[in-house]
Amino acid sequence: MFTSRLSRAIVAAVVATTATVFAGGSLFAQDVIKVGAPLPLTGPLSPEGLKQKRGYDLWAEAANAKGIKVGDKTYKVEIVYADYASNTPRAVQTAERMITEDKVQFLFAPFGSGATKAASAISEKYKIPMLAPSASAQEIFDQHFKYIFSTLTGNETVSIPIVKLVTSKNKSIKKVAVLARNDLFPLAVAQEFEKAAKAEGLEVAVTERYAIGTMDHSAAITKMRAASPDWVYASGYINDLILIRRQMNDLGLKAAVITEIAGPAYAEFAKTVGPLAEGITSMSWWHPAVRYKGPDVFGSTEAFNAAFAKKYNGAEADYIEAGSAACGAVLQLAIEKAGSVDSVKVRDAISATDTETFYGRIKFNADGQVTTLQPPVFQLIGGKPVILWPDAIKAGEIKFLPK
Amino acid sequence: MIYLQIAANGLVLGGLYACIAVGFSLVWGVLNVINILHGSFIVLGSYVAYFAYVHLGIHPFISTVIAGAVLYGLGYLLQAGIINRVITAPVLITLTLTFGLDLILNNSMLVAFTADYQSVNLAHPLGTVQIGPVFLPGDRVAAMVLAVLLTLLLYRLLRDSRIGRAIVAVRMDREAASLMGVDVPRINAVTFAIGAFMAGAAGALLSIIFPISPLNGPLFLGKAFIVCVLGGLGSVPGAMLGGLVLGVIESFTSFWFGPERAVTISFALLLVLLFVRPSGLLGRRGYE
Repeated sequence: MFTSRLSRAIVAAVVATTATVFAGGSLFAQDVIKVGAPLPLTGPLSPEGLKQKRGYDLWAEAANAKGIKVGDKTYKVEIVYADYASNTPRAVQTAERMITEDKVQFLFAPFGSGATKAASAISEKYKIPMLAPSASAQEIFDQHFKYIFSTLTGNETVSIPIVKLVTSKNKSIKKVAVLARNDLFPLAVAQEFEKAAKAEGLEVAVTERYAIGTMDHSAAITKMRAASPDWVYASGYINDLILIRRQMNDLGLKAAVITEIAGPAYAEFAKTVGPLAEGITSMSWWHPAVRYKGPDVFGSTEAFNAAFAKKYNGAEADYIEAGSAACGAVLQLAIEKAGSVDSVKVRDAISATDTETFYGRIKFNADGQVTTLQPPVFQLIGGKPVILWPDAIKAGEIKFLPK
Repeated sequence: MIYLQIAANGLVLGGLYACIAVGFSLVWGVLNVINILHGSFIVLGSYVAYFAYVHLGIHPFISTVIAGAVLYGLGYLLQAGIINRVITAPVLITLTLTFGLDLILNNSMLVAFTADYQSVNLAHPLGTVQIGPVFLPGDRVAAMVLAVLLTLLLYRLLRDSRIGRAIVAVRMDREAASLMGVDVPRINAVTFAIGAFMAGAAGALLSIIFPISPLNGPLFLGKAFIVCVLGGLGSVPGAMLGGLVLGVIESFTSFWFGPERAVTISFALLLVLLFVRPSGLLGRRGYE
């Protein structure tokens, strides 16, 4: 009994090994670069996970159309996807499994600052460069890791410009109320905002934090209303922000400026919120209206927008979709520059990147965070984002809401 | 004066909680089935109301009946066809079964409707009514009033109708009810279907308040669970009271201690209550 089971196991092992050798052999013959992308394809973060996937797919398609030239070889890209069901510990396991079992040479990070930080321990351990399109929290970069790179600038870059813009245009804005989701990115960005507001001499009258999965914001909004703020700032994700905006209306909380992050940057936000979206200000790391040219696979923002619209039925990319494609474009530039697919050499090439791309200028600091983007500030007018800053791409002036 | 507003917020929220929980409580109390599907039923009800509004222009308040009827049918079929086969098994078996069914229903909704949030933006919202220092959101209050009316209707149905008395009889003693000529499997199916009706109707009412997505299912289920344990299993007035108490407690704790602590504190109070009154506020002692 035992021996028969043992012999069966040996046969299975031999078959498996042979299969792997042949499969591996054929893979190498085709010269494939394998990039692992653990994504939240199901669960609460699936809308964002699907955005990242759209960006990666677009890049892979563009890269494979011409192939990636490394020395005299031309490589094709294969993105290995796996769903971690919006569960951060599983994102970490998935990243590790992709390295050890799927033998991916590079990684694209999971969604958001929290999961990216968790997974960065794995990329560091195995010395696999990981590019992150949706991670901006300082905590990731305070680890001083060498293998994590993010295409989002720090949270201060999406906080300071809007504060400066609002205070320069309207001196009567004095009192700010902040409602933040108690979660890595939303909390960090709200704290940066408070810092920026205080630096400009604004009074932060109320600061409230709400838990993930909160179904009612009436108490916090009532408290904010009692302070009669000139500016209401709410951070969270799309469902939180919809509910907060509605309950503000329900409970009669009005302010000259209503800022929400991060949700209004997605086209579906204005559609879902309807008339209440009017006048909401927000920030985004990227916008289809920016105009850059570069040596990357897309060549220019216009070309990227056109490619995106063609592949996805005329849709406009948001910063996550564009950032995800940018991760691929940066990786490709680094591989071509390194002239190698060796993960350590490519890591050094990514780290040395200093170039303009369709997404903007890309240069990373020593901790792997991009430092060269100017994230636009915009306001939703008539259901469409109108860019208020930077001046180079400005499309209108900020409109203050009736109080 | 601000406390009046906080109390009003709590009562409106509590009414919605009660409406989320009442169907769940009925099924748990009568069938001894912890219906994990309940949250997804509510979401499905919201989608029925959403599509009825977007495509046919039917107001979600009218859709409560349509969504309720759709869910009644689905609930009846699920109970008669699947759950009834293990209805007498220990509670863990039925819990596992409804858990599995929930995975199927929830993921089917994810595939069919995607996880993107949808929302019913009424063309003619009722606006906000201001009474002194208190702001009352018209649509929320109307939804709550309808929810309370539906709950009262269910209460009268259980007390006054033949089928209601049969449901109560099965709840009290399954064997005795059977000996008295009650068709227990049919009553089981009807009870489950009524629970699903209440979930569907609640979903339609909630569609004007919360963004709609399959991802909300577990949130609704969690609230239903607390309300049910708080108020006492299987009791319609218990679910009503439990919902209101939870709403008011959450409202005040988030005002005093911040919204991030509201959930922790309400769970702590629930633990204390279970210690003092294990059968809930209006539950009957010794009844499982």
